[in-house]
Amino acid sequence: MKLHYYPGCTLKEKAVALDISTREAMKRLDVELVEPEGWTCCGAEYPLTEEKIVGLAAPIRVLRQVRDEGGEVLVTTCSFCFAVLKRANKALRDDPLKRKRINAFLRDDIQIDPLTKARTTDFEDYNGEVQVLHLLEYLRDRVGTPKIKSRLKRDLKGLAVAPYYGCRLLRPQEEMAFDEPDAPRVFEDFLEAVGCSAVDYAFKQECCGSYLSVSLPDAATEASYRVLRAAQMEGARAVTVTCPLCFYNMDSRQAAIKEKFLDFSGLPVLYFTQILAWALGVDREVLGLGEHAVPADSLFEEVPTTEVRT
Amino acid sequence: MTVKTKKKEDKRIGLFVCHCGVNIAGVVDVKKVAEALKDTPGVSMSTDYVYMCSDPGQQMIIDTIKEKHLDGIIVAACSPTLHEKTFQEAARLAGLNPYQIEIANIREQNSWVHSDKDKATKKAVKIVKSHVAKAIRNENLEPIKVDVKKRALVIGGGVSGLQAALDIADHGYEVILVEKNPSIGGKMIQLSETFPTLDCSQCILTPKMVEVSRHPRIKLLTYHEVDSVSGFIGNFKVRIKKKPRFVDEKLCNLCGECEKVCPQIVPDEFNMGLSFRKAIYMPFPQAIPGTYTLDEDHCLGLSPVRCGKCKDVCEPRAIDFDMKETIIEEEVGAIVVATGYDLYTMQALGEFGGEKYEDVVNGLEFERILSASGPTGGVVRRPSDGKVPKSVVFVQCCGSRDTEKHLPYCSKICCMYTAKHAMLYRHRVPDGQATVFYIDVRTGGKAFDEFYQRTVEEDKVLYIRGKVSKVFKEGDKLIVWGVDTLTGKKVEIEADMVVLAMAMVKTDGVQDLLKKLKISTDIHGFVAEAHPKLRPVESLNAGFFLAGCAHGPKDIPEAVSQASAAAAKVGDLFAQKELSHEPTVVPVNDELCSGCGICVTMCPYGARTLDPSKGVVDVNEILCEGCGACAAACPCGAAQQRNQTDDQIFSMLRAMLRE
Ligand SMILES: Cc1cc2nc3c(=O)[nH]c(=O)nc-3n(C[C@H](O)[C@H](O)[C@H](O)COP(=O)(O)OP(=O)(O)OC[C@H]3O[C@@H](n4cnc5c(N)ncnc54)[C@H](O)[C@@H]3O)c2cc1C
Repeated sequence: MKLHYYPGCTLKEKAVALDISTREAMKRLDVELVEPEGWTCCGAEYPLTEEKIVGLAAPIRVLRQVRDEGGEVLVTTCSFCFAVLKRANKALRDDPLKRKRINAFLRDDIQIDPLTKARTTDFEDYNGEVQVLHLLEYLRDRVGTPKIKSRLKRDLKGLAVAPYYGCRLLRPQEEMAFDEPDAPRVFEDFLEAVGCSAVDYAFKQECCGSYLSVSLPDAATEASYRVLRAAQMEGARAVTVTCPLCFYNMDSRQAAIKEKFLDFSGLPVLYFTQILAWALGVDREVLGLGEHAVPADSLFEEVPTTEVRT
Repeated sequence: MTVKTKKKEDKRIGLFVCHCGVNIAGVVDVKKVAEALKDTPGVSMSTDYVYMCSDPGQQMIIDTIKEKHLDGIIVAACSPTLHEKTFQEAARLAGLNPYQIEIANIREQNSWVHSDKDKATKKAVKIVKSHVAKAIRNENLEPIKVDVKKRALVIGGGVSGLQAALDIADHGYEVILVEKNPSIGGKMIQLSETFPTLDCSQCILTPKMVEVSRHPRIKLLTYHEVDSVSGFIGNFKVRIKKKPRFVDEKLCNLCGECEKVCPQIVPDEFNMGLSFRKAIYMPFPQAIPGTYTLDEDHCLGLSPVRCGKCKDVCEPRAIDFDMKETIIEEEVGAIVVATGYDLYTMQALGEFGGEKYEDVVNGLEFERILSASGPTGGVVRRPSDGKVPKSVVFVQCCGSRDTEKHLPYCSKICCMYTAKHAMLYRHRVPDGQATVFYIDVRTGGKAFDEFYQRTVEEDKVLYIRGKVSKVFKEGDKLIVWGVDTLTGKKVEIEADMVVLAMAMVKTDGVQDLLKKLKISTDIHGFVAEAHPKLRPVESLNAGFFLAGCAHGPKDIPEAVSQASAAAAKVGDLFAQKELSHEPTVVPVNDELCSGCGICVTMCPYGARTLDPSKGVVDVNEILCEGCGACAAACPCGAAQQRNQTDDQIFSMLRAMLRE
C-alpha cells in the first residue's frame, strides 16, 4: 500500500535516522511511503507565528500536490512539520476568506519539471481535501495495535522507555485534536504495543528548550536536563521523541548538561521509529545509531529472536 | 372557572395608551395610537397618559371604567410581566372582572427595539388592534380555589435544611425532615472552624441538630430518601423510602461493642477517606440520631452464617439483619429543597495530581486535617507519611471561573475558606510557609475583608496572583508550577502538601430527586429560583422552595438566611385559608377530545392524564400553569386555553395582518 509521507527538511539532513527508520518500519507493516513531488520546506514555525497569508502558501502547496497525486492522507513524523501542516490545513478549512486568499495567491504558481522543462500552471484550488496525520496517529488508528503486534520480530522485554511529547504534538488541543494534552495515551499505547513499558513522569509535555538552543543555549540545556532527569528518576532507560529538534536538544546537549548538572549521568534518546523498526526486525545497522551523541547501541543488543509473537 | 360575560358585539372596551415618560412616547406617537383606535368596532373610548401605572393613572382607569360602563380595557404599555397585576387590581376596584384586562406591550416589543417613529407607531397600532380583537372575546373568570395542607417537607439535613425545618416548626406547623445520610449535619459538621469568626463549626451546629431532634413538631427521618412526589401546591403526596439501618435506633445504647468486633474496614466518609471506620459505625460522636448504622454494602453478608459477630455482642439486641426497606406516605402542602452541594472532582483537573498524590487534597479533606475531631486530632499532618508539612500551597479557583475547560461560575466561598485554611495552618505550624495562588481575592461579606487582611498581614501568608499549571512529585516533595501574573514570571514552589479549592457543584445524584419533584434547574444543575432578584427562594414550580447550596454556592450565613426566608415563604402559604390559582388554564372539551394523548406528553407539569374509561383527557386545573403547550399541540381543538382560545388567537392575527 502506498502512503504519502512528508519527511521535512531536517530528516534529509540532521535527522536521517528518523527518516530511514520510518521507511524501514513502515515497509514491514506493508506500507510504502511516497514523497509528494517537489515538496518544499513547510515553513517551520513561521507560518503559525504571523497572521500573514504568504506563510501558509508553502504548506498548502505541499498539500495541494498530495491531492493532485491522488493522496487522501499525508503522514509526517516531525512534530513541527506536523503542527504546521495540520494547522495550516485547518486554518484553510475553517476560514473561507483565508481559503480564498491563499488560493488566489497560489493561482500564479508555475511548476517547471527540472528534467523535461515542462511547465505546469492552472492548479486547481485546494480546499482542505487532504487529511494530515502524525505517524503515531496513523499507527494507532489505521494500522492498529493487533497488526503491529502480529509483525513483531523482537521481544523488547518491557524496556522502560519514557515517551516525550514535547510542546508541538498535542497542542493547541482544538487544532491538533488527536489526544488529550493533559493525560495523553497515544505514545504510551504505542510503546506498549511494541513491547516496551512506558514510563510515567511529570515532564513528558514540557518544553525541551526548542529554538532557545540558538539564542539562549543555557536555557535549553536546563530545560532538556529537567526532562531527562525526571524520566531517569522514574526509571527510564531511554527517552523517545518524535521531533528532530527535541532530539537535538536532549541528545546533543547532554555534554553541556553533564558539565552544568553534576548529578546527571546521561540517558540515551531515541526516535520512536527506531524502536518500532527494531521491534519489527530491522537490522541494527540501518537504524542510524551513528547519529546519536549519547550512544544508544547497548539498547539494541541482538538477543536470540523469539519468533513471531501473536 | 367562567362566569357570565356579555356577548362580544355588545362589549364596550376602553383603551389607555401609556407614554412611560419617553420610554414609549420617545419613539411611538402615543396620541396617534389612541386616535387611530378610536373608531375601531368595540372601542368606546381611548386616551393616553404619561404614566399609566402611577396612582393618578390607575385612578383615571378606575374612574373611566365606572363612568363609561366599560366591559373591558386595554392598557398599551410595558410587558404584562410587570404591571398586569396592577391593572387587574384597578379593574377589580372598579367592579370589573380582572380577566377583562388586556396588556398590549408596545415598549419591550416596540419602542425599545425600534427607532423609526413612523413604523413604530404603525406597529403599535397593529399590536393594540390585535388586543381589541382579543378583548371583545375575553370572558369573566374567577380564580380556582384549593385547600392547603399545613405541613411541610424539608429535603436535606444540612445547616440550611435544619434552619428551614426549625423556623417552619416555630411558626407552628408540622415539618417532616428527610436526610439521606445516617445523621443530619451536612457539610458544615465536617468543617473545623468557620470564617470569619473562627468559631468551631461543630460547636455551633450541634445545638441546632439537637433542637431539631427534640422539636415536638419536627418528624426527623434520617437514612430516608424521597421516592416519589405527586399532587400540587398545598396538596402533595410524598412517598418516602426508609433505608434499612439494621440497628433499632431506640434499642441501640451506643456501647460500641459491635464496632469493636466488626472485621470490615471501610474508608470513613466523615473524614473524607483520611481514616477508616467499620461496616457497623456511628458517623461521628455527636451524630443525630445517636445510633449505630450497619452499612449493607460493606457488611460481610447480614447473616450469622457469614459473620454475625456484631449481633452476638449486642447486649440490647438492637441489631436486626432482617430489616427491609419500607415506604412511608405523607401529605404536605409545601416542599423545601435543601440538598446542598458537592465538590468538583479532582480527577477533572488531572494536571494538579489530586488523584495521583495523597498529599494533594481538596478543601474538605483539609478541613478534616485541621479539625480537632479529625483523623490527626487537629495536628496538621500530611496523609502520605504523617509528617507535619513545612510548606503548603493553596490553589484557588480549581475548576471555577474557567470558561474554557471547566465551570464558568465563581464558587464564591473559596477565597474565604482558603484564607481561613492558610491562617489556621500558620497558627498550627508557626514555622511553616503558606502560599496561596489566586485569580482575584473576593471578600464581599460582613467582616470578610478584615479577615483576609489579617491572613496576609498578621499571619504572613504569601499571596501570589496567578494560576497553577501543574503539580508533580520529585522525591518526597511536590513541585508546584505557576505563574505570577503581576511580575509575569514563572514560579516554582516546593511543597509538602497542596490544597485545592475545588469548585462547588450540584450534589451528586440530586438530578434524580429533582426529576421526581419535577422542578427546574439552571444549566449547572442547581435548583433554579423563580426570579433572580425578586423571588430568590421560590422555585418556578408552585409549592417548592429552595434553601442553601442546592441553589448555588453559598457560605453558612447566606445559606441560613435563605433557609429562614424559605421558611417565611412557607409560612405565607400556610397562613392562607385556601389558595387561588390563575383560572387561565387549559381545560378539555370532552366532546371534541379524541383521546390521542398528545397533550399529555406535551404537558411539562403533569397536569393532564388520559382517562382510559372515558377515552378522553382529564385535566388537574391546579397543576396547569397555562403555558399553552397542549393547546398548540391538540389536533382536535379540544384543548382551549381560557381567554387565549384558538378563536382569539386567530382574530388577533387577522386584526394584525388585515392591512
Ligand atoms: C472546604 C470548605 C470550607 C468551608 N468553610 C466555611 C466557613 O468557614 N464558613 C462558612 O460560612 N461556610 C463555609 N463553607 C460553606 C458551607 O459548607 C456551606 O455553606 C454549607 O454547608 C451549606 O449548607 P447546606 O445545608 O446548603 O448544604 P450541605 O451542607 O451540603 O447539606 C445538604 C444536606 O442534604 C443532604 N442531601 C443531599 N441530597 C439529598 C437527597 N436526595 N435526599 C435527602 N437528603 C439529601 C446531604 O446529605 C446533606 O446532609 C465551606 C465549604 C467548604 C467546601
